[in-house]
Amino acid sequence: MALPIDTGLEFYRQVLALRGYRQEILSADIANASTPGFKAVDLDFAAALNGATRQPNSNSTVGSRRVLLVDDDRQMTIDGNGAAPAAAANFVKYQAGTEVTLDGNSVDLDHEKTTAAENAVQYEAAATFTTQTIRMLMTAITGSGSQQSSGG
Amino acid sequence: MSLLGTLTIAGSGMSAQSERLSATASNLANANTSVGPGGQPYRAREVVFQALSLDGDDSDAAAVGAKGVKVAAVVESNAPMKSVYNPGSSFADAKGYVQMPNVNPVDEMVNMISAQQDYQANLEAFNVAKTLALRTLTI
Repeated sequence: MALPIDTGLEFYRQVLALRGYRQEILSADIANASTPGFKAVDLDFAAALNGATRQPNSNSTVGSRRVLLVDDDRQMTIDGNGAAPAAAANFVKYQAGTEVTLDGNSVDLDHEKTTAAENAVQYEAAATFTTQTIRMLMTAITGSGSQQSSGG
Repeated sequence: MSLLGTLTIAGSGMSAQSERLSATASNLANANTSVGPGGQPYRAREVVFQALSLDGDDSDAAAVGAKGVKVAAVVESNAPMKSVYNPGSSFADAKGYVQMPNVNPVDEMVNMISAQQDYQANLEAFNVAKTLALRTLTI
C-alpha cells in the first residue's frame, strides 16, 4: 500500500495547530491574571491530539502511522487560515486546584508562565520535527548525494 | 491563526495593564489635590477589568476559550475622604478641616507593582508567540 506523501506532515500540522492554540489559551490566562471572576483554563493537549488523529477503525492504520480520515464530528480539520481546529475548544478545561483570590480569580501567574514556556519548547520541537520530515522527503526525492533541502 | 491570536491577547493585556498603571500614576500625582474639577477633592480612580472574547461572542458557549482583556470601566473610589486640620487654608470648613483625597498610597504602590508584574508577563507571552511564529516561517 502506498502512503500519501504528506502522511507524516499532516500529523505535525495538527500538533502545531494545537500547540499554537494552547499557547493562545495560556496567554489569555496571563492577560486575565487580574480580571475579577476569571477562571484559569487550559487545553488538554493529549486528549485534543488524540481526538484530532483518532483512527475510526483499525483498517486505516498503516504500519505504526496514523492515517487521518475526516469522518467524525470531533475530527479536526484546519481551515484556510490555519486557525485552531474548532473541535479543539471541546478539550479546553478549567484548571483545578489553583488558589482562588477574593475577587474570584483563579489564575496562578507563575504556573501559567512555566506552562507557556514548556508549551513553547514543545512547539519548537514539533516545528523542528516538521523541518526534518520535509528534509527526509527531499532526500528521498532528490537522492542523498545532492543534499537539496527545503530550507530550515 | 492561533499564534496571531496570541499576539492580540497579549497586546490587550499590555494595554489594560498600562491603563491600570496610568490610573495609579494619576492617583499618586493627585494624592494631595484638595480641589479638583467641580470644587471637590480628587477621588482615587480604579480600573475594572473584564475578560473579552476575541470574536465578540460572550455567550455561555464561549465561556471557555481564549479571551483577551479590556478595561470595562474606570470607577472612583468610595472610600471616605481624609480630613486634615489646617485652619489657615482657604478651603477649610467652619471647624478648620480641609477635605483631602481618599488616595491610599500603600494601595497605589501595591497596585503599581502588581500592574508591573502583569505587564511583564504579557510582554513575555507576546515575545514567545512572536518567536514561535517566526520559527514557523522557517519550517
